[in-house]
Amino acid sequence: MFDTPKREAAVTKTDIKMSARNCQVFYGDNQAIKDVDVDIDDKTVTAFIGPSGCGKSTFLRCLNRMNDTIPICRVEGTITLDGEDIYDPKVDPVQLRAKVGMVFQKPNPFPKSIYDNIAYGPRIHGLARSRAELDDIVEKSLRRGALWDEVKDRLHEPGTGLSGGQQQRLCIARAVATEPEVLLMDEPCSALDPIATAQVEELIDELKQNFSVVIVTHSMQQAARVSQKTAFFHLGNLVEYGETGQIFTNPRDPRTESYITGRIG
Amino acid sequence: MTEKHHHIASAFDRDLEEVQAEIMKMGGLVENAILAAADSLEARDEEMAEKVRENDRAIDELEELINDEAARIIALRAPTAIDLRLVLSVLKISANLERIGDYAKNMAKRTGILVQMAPIEGATVSLKRMARDVQLMLKDALDAYIQRDAALAMDVIHRDRDVDQLYNALFREFLTFMMEDPRNITPCMHLHFIAKNTERMGDHVTAVAEQVVYLVTGEVPDEDRKKRDVTSTDASLSED
Repeated sequence: MFDTPKREAAVTKTDIKMSARNCQVFYGDNQAIKDVDVDIDDKTVTAFIGPSGCGKSTFLRCLNRMNDTIPICRVEGTITLDGEDIYDPKVDPVQLRAKVGMVFQKPNPFPKSIYDNIAYGPRIHGLARSRAELDDIVEKSLRRGALWDEVKDRLHEPGTGLSGGQQQRLCIARAVATEPEVLLMDEPCSALDPIATAQVEELIDELKQNFSVVIVTHSMQQAARVSQKTAFFHLGNLVEYGETGQIFTNPRDPRTESYITGRIG
Repeated sequence: MTEKHHHIASAFDRDLEEVQAEIMKMGGLVENAILAAADSLEARDEEMAEKVRENDRAIDELEELINDEAARIIALRAPTAIDLRLVLSVLKISANLERIGDYAKNMAKRTGILVQMAPIEGATVSLKRMARDVQLMLKDALDAYIQRDAALAMDVIHRDRDVDQLYNALFREFLTFMMEDPRNITPCMHLHFIAKNTERMGDHVTAVAEQVVYLVTGEVPDEDRKKRDVTSTDASLSED
């Protein structure tokens, strides 16, 4: 009962899924992220772009507390998911990561069958009460990962036997199996060929119907193709954040312009 | 400004410079065509008029070249931001320049007919003045383009009003001539078309200047010019 008003408030401002205020990240004495304020919209693809070392991956990893695993890493400021502070001591990072899933640069399927790769998350979070339910989750997730038709006849073969592009879609299917609300992707296509990249991009476009997707990419064209919002990071600062069309036709900040047009400056 | 920095891929810089050089070359040819067409009209010089018509081919060829070059840049370089606006502006500017060139050619064509008839007093001097204004606007629009000067481009846009006023004055003048003597109708119809075409040239120069503003600021200026003079649309003026 106590929770009700809060939940209602979250429902009324539907648009913002995650929010960061004065976010600072340090690795020891090195400051990697400086005072980042950003609102991640729900059911939207948001792209983080910027040169290597600009902090975009570091910031992405803050959104599901992946940085907790790095002992010298310190995060300050507030980051909220549906208005609730994700760094609150009461929050269980494992539960958080079920809600905020992640897909990495290199496809990293578990050394298990295709089926078990998908079933792993739902099992540990107790999302299925019967074998039939688990089968349903596996099928639904593989369909969402646009992989079902290619693997439905060999669900019990090892996931590592798939091609690179299929493995990455398997990892995406695995990430969506726990019904996350936000999906973080750290350069999900950098190890894929153009066809597999196009398939993953098509998938990202479909995923945004149900999830909020945040993607870090080095390919500006990819950011332009898949995202609705783009954030440009430079030297740990969030330089510019706006509608993707605007960022790519008429960026406000000269640093953004230099970067996206491939200039030295 | 960002553009002052070089691309990491220096061939991209060269491509963009090349296509802009072609625009400037095309603009120069069009400026000459406007002046030469107006001069030949005033001097009743058929030979010069013929040259204007011949030279239009070079303008058309440059437009094609610029279109091909722009398409190639889009396909190979996937330009963004200032680079994208540059390529888009190049396409639009070349199309507008080509139209201005066509109007100059048309003026030269009508000169060939007008020299066969008795001159209409004072008309060609006014038309030359109008053509001169348009040519100066084009010169400034191209200068604004190469210097990335949005203020100068806005100035060009505002100056189009003067050209419109000159056209409206000429419209009335030709109407009077035609009412005075029906033998004036044929030459005055040709002169009126020249005046109207010159006024249209001014509109195309304005479109070029708008592209300069878009290139520099990323936004197209508001089209908020009211027609101040209703001469050409007011039917009562033709009644008498």
